[in-house]
Amino acid sequence: MPTRQATPATAHTKRGLDGDRVLTAFCVGLPVLGLLLFFLYPMAIVFLRSITVADGTYGLGNYGEVLASKGFWRATWHSMAMGGGTTVLSVLLGFVIAHGLHRCAFRGKWLIRAAIVLPLLAPSLVQALGLIFLLGRNGLVNRFFGLEMDIYGFWGLLIANTLYALPQAVMIIGAALVLLDARTYEAAEIMGASPSRQFRDLTLPAVRLGLLNAAFVVFTITITDFGNAAVIGGDYSVLATEIYSQVVGQRNFNMGAVVGIMLLLPTVASYAIERQAMKRQKGQQGTNSQPFVPQFTPVRDLPMAAINFLIAVLIAAVIAIVVFASFVRLWPYNFELTTRHYNITLAGGYGSLWMTIVISLMAAAGGTLAVFLLGLGLRRVPSALAQPLQVLAAMPAAVPGMVLGLAYILTFNSTATPLYLLYGTAALIAIINFYHYHTQAFLTLQTGFRQLPPALEEAAGSLGAGLGKVAVNVVAPFIAPMLVSVFFFLFMRSMVTLSAVVFLTTPKLNVAAVTIMRLDDAGLTSQAAAFSTVVMAVVCAALIGMKAVLAVMGRGQTRPAKG
Amino acid sequence: MKNHIFAVSASLLALAAASAAVAGEITVYTALEEEEIAAYAAAAQATMPDVELNILRLSTGKLGARILAEAGNPQADVIWGWAVTAMMDPQILDMLEPYAAKGSEVLGDAFRDADGRWFAPVGYMGAFCVNTARLEQKGLPMPKSWKDLEDPAFKGEILMPDPNSSGTGYLHVNAVLQTLGEEAGWAQLAAVDPNMAQYTSSGSKPCKSARTGEYTVGISLAFTAMQSIEEGYPLAMVFPEGGVGYELEASGLMSSSDNKDDAKAFLDWTMSEEAIDLYRQYKALITIPGVGASAAAEKAGLPADISTVLADVDFVKSAAGQNAIKATWKEKFGR
Repeated sequence: MPTRQATPATAHTKRGLDGDRVLTAFCVGLPVLGLLLFFLYPMAIVFLRSITVADGTYGLGNYGEVLASKGFWRATWHSMAMGGGTTVLSVLLGFVIAHGLHRCAFRGKWLIRAAIVLPLLAPSLVQALGLIFLLGRNGLVNRFFGLEMDIYGFWGLLIANTLYALPQAVMIIGAALVLLDARTYEAAEIMGASPSRQFRDLTLPAVRLGLLNAAFVVFTITITDFGNAAVIGGDYSVLATEIYSQVVGQRNFNMGAVVGIMLLLPTVASYAIERQAMKRQKGQQGTNSQPFVPQFTPVRDLPMAAINFLIAVLIAAVIAIVVFASFVRLWPYNFELTTRHYNITLAGGYGSLWMTIVISLMAAAGGTLAVFLLGLGLRRVPSALAQPLQVLAAMPAAVPGMVLGLAYILTFNSTATPLYLLYGTAALIAIINFYHYHTQAFLTLQTGFRQLPPALEEAAGSLGAGLGKVAVNVVAPFIAPMLVSVFFFLFMRSMVTLSAVVFLTTPKLNVAAVTIMRLDDAGLTSQAAAFSTVVMAVVCAALIGMKAVLAVMGRGQTRPAKG
Repeated sequence: MKNHIFAVSASLLALAAASAAVAGEITVYTALEEEEIAAYAAAAQATMPDVELNILRLSTGKLGARILAEAGNPQADVIWGWAVTAMMDPQILDMLEPYAAKGSEVLGDAFRDADGRWFAPVGYMGAFCVNTARLEQKGLPMPKSWKDLEDPAFKGEILMPDPNSSGTGYLHVNAVLQTLGEEAGWAQLAAVDPNMAQYTSSGSKPCKSARTGEYTVGISLAFTAMQSIEEGYPLAMVFPEGGVGYELEASGLMSSSDNKDDAKAFLDWTMSEEAIDLYRQYKALITIPGVGASAAAEKAGLPADISTVLADVDFVKSAAGQNAIKATWKEKFGR
């Protein structure tokens, strides 16, 4: 976006200028204040811990010790290889799916849309169990075909990470594809450009930011993920397992903090590379955008539909098998159907479910608003300020959930500041859920904002509309599809994320993901699967309900963009 | 409207402040198993109706991370039933206040801190979880000892927790080292290393993987083994010859507690007759002298004198040597 940061502002009349300045300051200031308090400040405390050496003084001894260890370099190499592999696979498949959904014509897209969100609303235990039940050494595939395939290790971890990253890649790449102007394609058609030429010269350049953003997100969440590595990675040690081993295994938070801080480096580097790559490309200059309605083209659409449905079936199978297993007496030895695993009394029972919904709605609503304001404001501040803020906003995904959770304890369980009032509250859990997924929410909206023709804002501005009006009447409707997907994304993740919140729940405040973990810890894996199934059903019901509300609200309203 | 919001939030704040100050409420951090906690807490609550017991359960490792992260402003009044090897970490000991719970004086010296900061009336044991269906399918002999696991036929069929990530992993490694002696112990671990399919980060995972037939042998916990057998999995629990590793579950009073009277009353309860009766129901390993074989131990197929299957473990040595042992282990077997 640096190429055209200042353009909309210059078009404003003097009358609206001062009010707009205040509003811009508010748009940028509020979300940035949030990032400072709830991300940068806790991470600064983690940094301090990473340089706190054994005798309590500050120094770089911990870093020296980590850098000198063989295990660290092995884990670093593993993490980079895994991050790279997952990125290539997820972005490729993510593009295929997003392209299929937005640029191809075939029936049953809702099935693919439904399947692709499953990994987002599934508790991590479900994905791990599903893969093992399907592809494990004693899994269905091996038993059915009499194979001895071993999933544990690089390949299993690659599949698990891709499964988790794919929906997020589709969300971000989709944000670049959904708003591509149909007229450009009509013009290309008239000028005789072949479909492959249109793809190469129109689609690819337009989707480049989306692809880069998706690659960045996938790489980052892969190198910070512990859950998949622990269950399916086997002996393939990665940096996140190193942190776990230091912090949880050896009660040595300072050493874990060192690895946590070092995980920020590849992330910042890859984001810088991405920004650099985008500088060479200019934004789209269309003045008005017409939604693209693909025509059925058998050569393109039949293979695309086939691949899309294949991926959707694979994803759905992983989740479905766990749902099924929650209804059988003793997986994989007794397939008699039963609902006995749904009779859950331990670990707080179903009590945590409702509080989790409240927390998730808070995180989704507050989070969507915050990234919207930030995206809006960043278009109007000088790039010297916007660029560092963009890096900051894109960084949170680089922090493993466990590190963020412990950082929150260190930060907010201190009576030194009034922020202590938040400790032990549902609000703090909603806040950590949002900041844990800030990167994805922010980059999805940024990708969408990029499609917004500056001329649209300029026109509204020159007609005398202030920033507030432009935001509500022009920008929000235009990027509404992204706002909706960000809201749903934050809601789904908040319902099931575990790694950070496990450190913030209290005896009186429990969340569903922690109940699932406790049931599994107690050896009651089938009950954990049953509870997960209930959570997934509740999330699905909530999503359908919210979609219905949106449909009712949207009825009769047309996007001004269609003008 | 604004005034309303202010009034509501002011009263909420007042309420929060008031409830924090109310006597008769304690926060207890524990790593005991869920079903035990439910039974003990119900009984303790009935004995102490005026005290509200707020209990937080986390696994041993996560609880440690949380207690240390909260060290600047500890939230717990009591640590209840937590691995003594973790409890003896100097960072933790510094947070405890000596208190001799009523009844804890009967415990042997090995089962309570010389300075009175912790006492451990119960504990848990490690075990091999052997999937009998897979054992048969692979035509493998039932392993009876660590030595048996050296058999190349077990290659890729054994799981064990990584001692650097899991207290259960350390429990086993430490038991082998203390029963066989350092040199023979490391040699034993090296002999089984080629057969290990994975070193996991969770202590119960090897048993859970074995019970669903992913692997044949999971070096894990007796609790998970017993629970799995009860669920109906084709699983055998084996205590390796020469002694199995075990861990004490220690309790102590946080010196930061602002309700020490109730915290002490709760600790007293954990040594009461009522509590001991419940231990006999749930615990295979009870360190209180004169408490005979428990129902739980009998169910597990343990001999009347349980000490015959336990490794000879010195917990002070286990705790003191853990950093060095974990580092050596990582050097030798880290993957």
